[in-house]
Amino acid sequence: MEYFYTKKADWDDLLGRLLVSHDIFGPVAAENFQEYEHLDAATIPEVIYNKPKPASPLKIFFLPVKENVTAERPPEKPRIIIGVPSCDTEALGILDEVYLDSSFEDLFYRNRRQNTIIISSDCFDIAEHCHCTSYGVKPWDEKRADAAIAVRGDTVFLRLISEKGRKFINDSGVFSHVTDNTMISFIDARHRETESMLARANSRLPGYSETGTLVKESGQAVWVKHSATCVSCGACTTICPTCTCFLLIDKPGFHKVKQMDACQYPGFERTAGGEDPLGELHERFRNRYMCKYVWKPEKFKNIACTGCGRCIEACIGKIDKNKLFMELAI
Amino acid sequence: MPTGKNIYRPVRAKLTDVIVESPTIKTFVLIPEEEFSFKTGQFIELSVDGIGEAPFTPSSSPLVKEKIEVTVMKTGYVTEYMHNMKPGSYMGLRGPYGRGYPVEKFYDKEILILGGGCGFAPIRSLLYNLAAITDKLRKVTLCYGSKTPEDCIYKPYISELRKIPKFEVYRSVDKGDSNWTERVGVVTVLLDDVKVDISNSVAVVCGPPVMMKFGTLKLLQMGYPEHDIYLSMEKNMSCGLGKCGHCMMGKYFVCKDGPVFTYDEIKDQPNIWN
Repeated sequence: MEYFYTKKADWDDLLGRLLVSHDIFGPVAAENFQEYEHLDAATIPEVIYNKPKPASPLKIFFLPVKENVTAERPPEKPRIIIGVPSCDTEALGILDEVYLDSSFEDLFYRNRRQNTIIISSDCFDIAEHCHCTSYGVKPWDEKRADAAIAVRGDTVFLRLISEKGRKFINDSGVFSHVTDNTMISFIDARHRETESMLARANSRLPGYSETGTLVKESGQAVWVKHSATCVSCGACTTICPTCTCFLLIDKPGFHKVKQMDACQYPGFERTAGGEDPLGELHERFRNRYMCKYVWKPEKFKNIACTGCGRCIEACIGKIDKNKLFMELAI
Repeated sequence: MPTGKNIYRPVRAKLTDVIVESPTIKTFVLIPEEEFSFKTGQFIELSVDGIGEAPFTPSSSPLVKEKIEVTVMKTGYVTEYMHNMKPGSYMGLRGPYGRGYPVEKFYDKEILILGGGCGFAPIRSLLYNLAAITDKLRKVTLCYGSKTPEDCIYKPYISELRKIPKFEVYRSVDKGDSNWTERVGVVTVLLDDVKVDISNSVAVVCGPPVMMKFGTLKLLQMGYPEHDIYLSMEKNMSCGLGKCGHCMMGKYFVCKDGPVFTYDEIKDQPNIWN
């Protein structure tokens, strides 16, 4: 991998200059969490690097909660999103498969993908429910983003990933090529530390395909029991970096408004004739796990759960899917 | 606005005629403002401006390009609006979507078609297509069932079908009246009457879910291989693009991978009959 470096102050100055031409987003601290902010000169130095993870998934930048997909609109400003954890960039795999499908390409998604530079952030720490490595995702990105950032003291290192990332680095004029690998040996060491922490935290958690088998083979009683506190709020799907379902709402003038939807909502699959395959709470609850661990893996090349753990954090019914899967694995 | 084809934007279509088929079913004749064609068995998304959109398989011939006919049963919010629409107004069309009937695979075979209720709509489109290629087919047998004689749709078309060489038509109603001279009973009773060489035949089923289920079971009992039974599945096909997730049936997006499947393709998927 190719690395580049610059001083943290120069990195912040660069982002400050790019504010003229770009919308820049990055995670900053809130009360007891971090969340993406639309950055300005004052918040650029506050961006959190190398620590998981923003409360919202990356998909919010590509799949807005609600948008009119038929109305004329001005071009969107180019964007830079910094500090994105690898569980979120990994999720771009399945999002791209769904929305860039050559037979029905979503122009809005495509334009935003093309119009956005993603600077991932290596995770040098873990949060309570992080389990990316259990599903084969490294806590650092080497393939989905345009570059990945590691900050040490007053130095910023960028690992080059894409050609868009190369152009960004070249055009910036502030980065130097790392030629002495001892400068970046700490990055490899931190990667191994994070992997070890994740392995210890999730030693009993079954892997991705094993989870699929467990989910598929579990009977109705399991789903009735574990859905007991589910209130069908859809927080798990809304916060999920790989969930892509939506509703098309008709507006006058043959306009269509595309709005995020959730298989956890009653009526999600109901037809006009009245059939409703997901009419029962436990059916909807099971559907989400079957979708992520059984059906999507049969259909797509990319995984449908990247182990971010947000669905566990977001659940007001305190449903912990990892505890559920560990119970199934016993 | 991004450049390229916007997959969400409907084409406007002028409603030129409304044909009353039964107390609950009407056929809407539409002329799209842009070129629009489909293959038989594919479906479209039809919208009422500002009200809503629903999936329908056109009931007209795929060989006719200048107009499209859509047969709609009044069964919900959007279809109720549709039933109140008058000629001269406009509807929205998106599509065509999905995988229709593989007509080429039917060549040199007997085709047994089992339809119920408004499930005749996709079948009529298929029949128009088959009627244009009778020299390539051995026989076409239609078994159609409805609740009552009043609910039988496409009555003039039934008369036309009976005149086409190689075509046979059988009908049943759940409950007859004094004028009904054909079979009484659920549609599957018609399968006892038909003569078909199953070893060189395919079956096509389209209708309400319960009819699809028992029709398929009867065809299997008759000896039809699972891969020769073609089912037109009805799910909540909302976007038609294989994206929105509402029509997922196990690993399939019915809108994109279907709506026409062979039974062996879907028999292990969940909730195929509801």
